[in-house]
Amino acid sequence: MDKMKKLPKINLGGLKKYTVMFILVILMVLFSFSSPYFLTVRNLTNIITQNTYFIILAIGLSFVMIGGGIDLSVGWQMSLVGVVTAMMMVVYHLPVWLAVLIGILLGTLLGLFNGLIVTNIKVFPLIVTIATSTVFQGLSYIVSKANTFRGYPEEFLQLAKGKFLGVTFDVWLTILVVLLASFVYYKTSYGWNVLALGGNEEAARLAGIKTKAIKISVYTVCGFFTAIATMVMISKANTTNSMFGPGSEFTALTAAIVGGISFMGGEGNMLGLVAGVFILAVLGNGMQLAGWGTYAQYIVKGLILLGAVTFDEYQKTARRKAHKATTDQPTDKH
Amino acid sequence: MPETILTVRNIIKTYPGVVALNDVSVAFEKGEIHAMLGENGAGKSTLIKVISGAIEPDQGVIAFGAREYHKLNPAISRENGVAVIYQEFSLVESMSVAQNVFLGEEQGFLVSHKALKLRAGKVFEAMHVDIDPSAQVRKLSPAKKQLVEIAKAVSQNAKILVMDEPSAPLSASEVETMFGIIGKLKDQGVTIIYISHRIEELFRISDRVTVMRDGRYVDTLITKKTNRKELINLMVGRELKEYYPQRTIIPSDVVLEVKQISGLGDKDISFSVRKGEILGVAGLVGSGRTELANIIYGAMPKESGETWVEGIKRDIQSPDKAIEYGIGLIPEDRKHHGCILNASVQFNIALSTFNKNAKFFVVDAKGHKETARYYLEKFNIRTPSLDQRVTNLSGGNQQKVVLAKTLAANTNILIFDEPTRGIDVGSKQEIYNLMVELVNQGKTIIMISSEMEELLGISDRLIVLSEGKFMGEVPKEKFDQRYVIELASGHH
Repeated sequence: MDKMKKLPKINLGGLKKYTVMFILVILMVLFSFSSPYFLTVRNLTNIITQNTYFIILAIGLSFVMIGGGIDLSVGWQMSLVGVVTAMMMVVYHLPVWLAVLIGILLGTLLGLFNGLIVTNIKVFPLIVTIATSTVFQGLSYIVSKANTFRGYPEEFLQLAKGKFLGVTFDVWLTILVVLLASFVYYKTSYGWNVLALGGNEEAARLAGIKTKAIKISVYTVCGFFTAIATMVMISKANTTNSMFGPGSEFTALTAAIVGGISFMGGEGNMLGLVAGVFILAVLGNGMQLAGWGTYAQYIVKGLILLGAVTFDEYQKTARRKAHKATTDQPTDKH
Repeated sequence: MPETILTVRNIIKTYPGVVALNDVSVAFEKGEIHAMLGENGAGKSTLIKVISGAIEPDQGVIAFGAREYHKLNPAISRENGVAVIYQEFSLVESMSVAQNVFLGEEQGFLVSHKALKLRAGKVFEAMHVDIDPSAQVRKLSPAKKQLVEIAKAVSQNAKILVMDEPSAPLSASEVETMFGIIGKLKDQGVTIIYISHRIEELFRISDRVTVMRDGRYVDTLITKKTNRKELINLMVGRELKEYYPQRTIIPSDVVLEVKQISGLGDKDISFSVRKGEILGVAGLVGSGRTELANIIYGAMPKESGETWVEGIKRDIQSPDKAIEYGIGLIPEDRKHHGCILNASVQFNIALSTFNKNAKFFVVDAKGHKETARYYLEKFNIRTPSLDQRVTNLSGGNQQKVVLAKTLAANTNILIFDEPTRGIDVGSKQEIYNLMVELVNQGKTIIMISSEMEELLGISDRLIVLSEGKFMGEVPKEKFDQRYVIELASGHH
């Protein structure tokens, strides 16, 4: 017991939470020196409003990741949901609420589809979702016939334009989603089920948790949030075609990992995730202002993803080593 | 005068916050079987890793005869004739036996599979074992895999063979085969460093035994001149008698009855167990005991058979059903099946109950905290806090967390699968005390164990399995180790 107390407390999760915030602040300071325009209200507002849908998307993805899986199909899910919702409004002239409802229902079903496949054929979800992603891509182009849809009803545009207390609705929606997700993880049995699933699937199953159902559900929840993110994205753009969405999965994935959602499942926090999205956003914005081209930004984004995954893996290894050290000594003495 | 082949002198190895090896010196002689004994965490494995070059000591000397080193790496260690067989085998599962035997040997650019097979065949012949050199390693039993590892060491002309708990995955007859082989190696002048928890084995084969405790060297004894009691005392550093506390309850009504359960290799197994009883399940590794436990618990599918709980027939197809009917499982593989290592102590204890106790999906965090505190105190779980990750606890404390999780779900029929495996002597005693306390409270225990001594010591009754078949039931009056072992090895 005495020896146990002397052990260094290993709590890299907490360290990580603050590291992410710290990095964000450092970046902002750096860029404020490189461009006088960076720290203006207008620019910062832009950064926030341009990234709301990435936050919602990353939160959806976080359910899958914390549950120990991965979903690379969210980009093409957005594409398909986007064109279907747009067509409901622009081509079929359905009321906005119905079009949105259909879109969200569709996204949820696509997620359910992923979940059913992942749980029934036991292949890496990485491969499964690359495959379903291709299916969604085909569906999206068949449905849209490669057309672009624009001119949404004013009500729909309000989502990104309309303001409450000086803040646009999509920002409020994002705050709501972040709070909801935090609540789900910390306070609800559903969140605990997801954490248990990602922490150790077999131990969770033997403890009586219905792991298969939970696993299907995380992909479904992911599809649901992906659809909501899609609404924000196309409302903001006031246009869409099948090219809208793909690529977002990498931004969301990178942000999630940078923000401390473990690639191996079982842990993560929503505030870190939000910070992760903004780190990427600030980098992108800062590099743009500094005159770097889009292509250079791709390179930086890729390197950040690599760096974040390395850090994640490094932490796990460090913990394993620390664990070895603790089990390799007598803690069990009276 | 025996020739000293390997000496470690004044080895110190520290990890953050822990001294794993504290000034350890041991000398190993040529052609001896030298056993290393100590509780978990005594430093045996760390010392082995120093010898094999897997880790570098902070201080000290490793000497192979006149060649002295302050640190080794695996290549240097190997050059000096050291071969290590770890508990987790280091074989390439997808390759053939022959390829594995000569893995790491320079083969030239083109590999002649035929020549490899012939050479491997010769190695096995010399060992008097029958293994097909062209078989894929994946398809071999653990016993055969171990033989391949030994063959690998032999083919490298190893002078010092280190074996870490080699008998753990083996059945009784396989252990005999292994003893025969290492005896032969010894005759050829190979030094064998043999690490084991099983004291009986050391008396069978070792020439000398070194005892370690708390990272320190305690003593080296000539096996013939010592006894079990002395070794245990040296290991734990105090007088200790494993004892099984007094029962205050007489087994009453039947609470669980299984009828003709078949599946996963088990055939037609029927037995019943009473309230307040400890039913031991004996059998060798591979006899179908764990499978039986998993079938009853609904963790694995069965082909046929019925389960009756408190006189009612129950269809248990998943663990959550078993828990609902009051059956709990403390799994054999504690780290992978019993708990979530990276989650907190509190979360682990809440694992089986948070769904049931949630109100409108909101978990009863406060209640779970109280429950966790209760078990922390009751079971004397040594952890700095409820938020500590389970991975940072010792084996015995992890096991208590698993038990707390199971009991928190109000289970009263508890299946313990190898509850004391990999747990040191002191914690073992605590686990026995807990088990007896539980039955005294009117719970029922089914205990699977490979340790005959604890099985005979704690059970009221035994059932014996062999190769998936029910071999018989042994009442307490007839408890006799030899009789049970005979049943378990398939003899009537």
